[in-house]
Amino acid sequence: MRPVIRLTDVSKCYRIVRQRPFLAKVLFKKLMRRADPPEVHWALRDISFEVGDGESVGVIGYNGSGKSTLLSLIARTSYPTSGTVEVQGRIGPLLELGAGFAPELTGLENIFLNASLLGLQREEVDAKLESIIEYAGIGDYVYSPLSTYSTGMGARLGFAVIAHIDPDILLIDEALAVGDSEFQGKCMVTMEGFKARGKTMFLVTHDMAMVQRICDRAIWIDRGRVLAIGPSDEVVAKYQESQPAEG
Amino acid sequence: MQTFTDLYRFRFILTTLVGKNLKVMYRNMSLGMLWTLLNPLVMIATLTVVWVVVFGAPASFASMCIIALIPYNFTVYCLTGSVHAIPGNAALVKKSAFPRQVLPISIIATHLIHFGIQSLLILAVILLFPLDGGHFGFHLLCLVPIFLVHLALCIGIGLLVSGLNVIYRDVQYITESLLTVLFWVCPVIYADAKLQAVYDADGALESGLPDWLYHLYYANPLSGLITAYRDVLYHGTVPQFWPAAQAVVGTLVVGYLGVRIFWKYEREFADLV
Repeated sequence: MRPVIRLTDVSKCYRIVRQRPFLAKVLFKKLMRRADPPEVHWALRDISFEVGDGESVGVIGYNGSGKSTLLSLIARTSYPTSGTVEVQGRIGPLLELGAGFAPELTGLENIFLNASLLGLQREEVDAKLESIIEYAGIGDYVYSPLSTYSTGMGARLGFAVIAHIDPDILLIDEALAVGDSEFQGKCMVTMEGFKARGKTMFLVTHDMAMVQRICDRAIWIDRGRVLAIGPSDEVVAKYQESQPAEG
Repeated sequence: MQTFTDLYRFRFILTTLVGKNLKVMYRNMSLGMLWTLLNPLVMIATLTVVWVVVFGAPASFASMCIIALIPYNFTVYCLTGSVHAIPGNAALVKKSAFPRQVLPISIIATHLIHFGIQSLLILAVILLFPLDGGHFGFHLLCLVPIFLVHLALCIGIGLLVSGLNVIYRDVQYITESLLTVLFWVCPVIYADAKLQAVYDADGALESGLPDWLYHLYYANPLSGLITAYRDVLYHGTVPQFWPAAQAVVGTLVVGYLGVRIFWKYEREFADLV
């Protein structure tokens, strides 16, 4: 299988900024060559893996383990401190809820905004608009500003756009957890359709049933390092064993 | 140059963002974009009442100021708008991978629309108010290169301040203070002619600035551009050489710094906003 996502020794370090550095102080220290070493947090450490064309991979781990950072590196909204991230093909990122959504605008306007940020042209959106609105299934709310939406409705709209841009690689971050069961079912059908058409999927979730149902492989990340990688059933089993009883 | 070729590919983002900016600015307002005419109209009224009626300045003084004020305002709106271009769109920057320069450039495009509307006022002023020179003629063709340099300057400023403000939020306060100074170091409510050196019979400076200070004054490219607009629209001549030439040089410097700084920090935006 041809790899479409390849991470090689990827590390990501965030500077912890408790207080924005005071400009004058920074300049003074630079002049005196006495800059403080910044406090840092390594969100990811030496991550290497490949995802093949058409493969579905789930990323699991506790909160704060670096899952979302990993996704943002693949989505290219953020860049690694060291190592390389190679991605081939059009990416459909759904990072958190309603990626690229502006609360002041109506649902309809947000469809255009979001689709344009994903790299679509106006004609493509015009052609798919009706189908997107129908898929979202939020009725006349598409004409209301997004600030009046519930979280679930925002997620519906976001997923409706993603489902229509036909990306080569679908990136999903927890977005579906907030939809009602009817919508979650719809998303599942769409994702299985994606898989059937040989698209690559990369999703971060706490829904172990979803990982087992959809993903071929799973990656368990803990404190920025890969703890386990392999067939999803095995990794999910290991992950669940390690957790306290309430799961 | 990638900065600008990307823009063509992402022109749809640009138009949706401009639409978003306008909608956010004018939501729930019945007069909408007409509000953009209010500020220059108030300025015309104030100048006319204070200078022309009270202090007895010639009526052309008001038109001289308005012709300078409208391009000046465009620059200021671009500057103050760009400061918030990246942090103000934090959600988009964090969640979508698109060329970041469309954010400040969408702000500039939005104000370009306002500038277009306000330019109708310039036309009204040219037709209705007394000027210093001819109204229409081939010298008006000079407006095309002047405008292009002006636009390049605004884009340079936009990239520069929007990039810097992500790293140091102090930039937004620094620009506010700078704007107060900028208004007085640009020839908006006084004439360029007052700055030019006048020597008496003995060769001593009688009024105006000595040459070195005059050129230092025009190191600010906006001053040169405003003088050029005024030369063409008010005095009815082609622009003077030195202010215009210095404006081109200044614009190139600002543009270079803007592109360099924006490029340098672009990749960190999502981590810092």
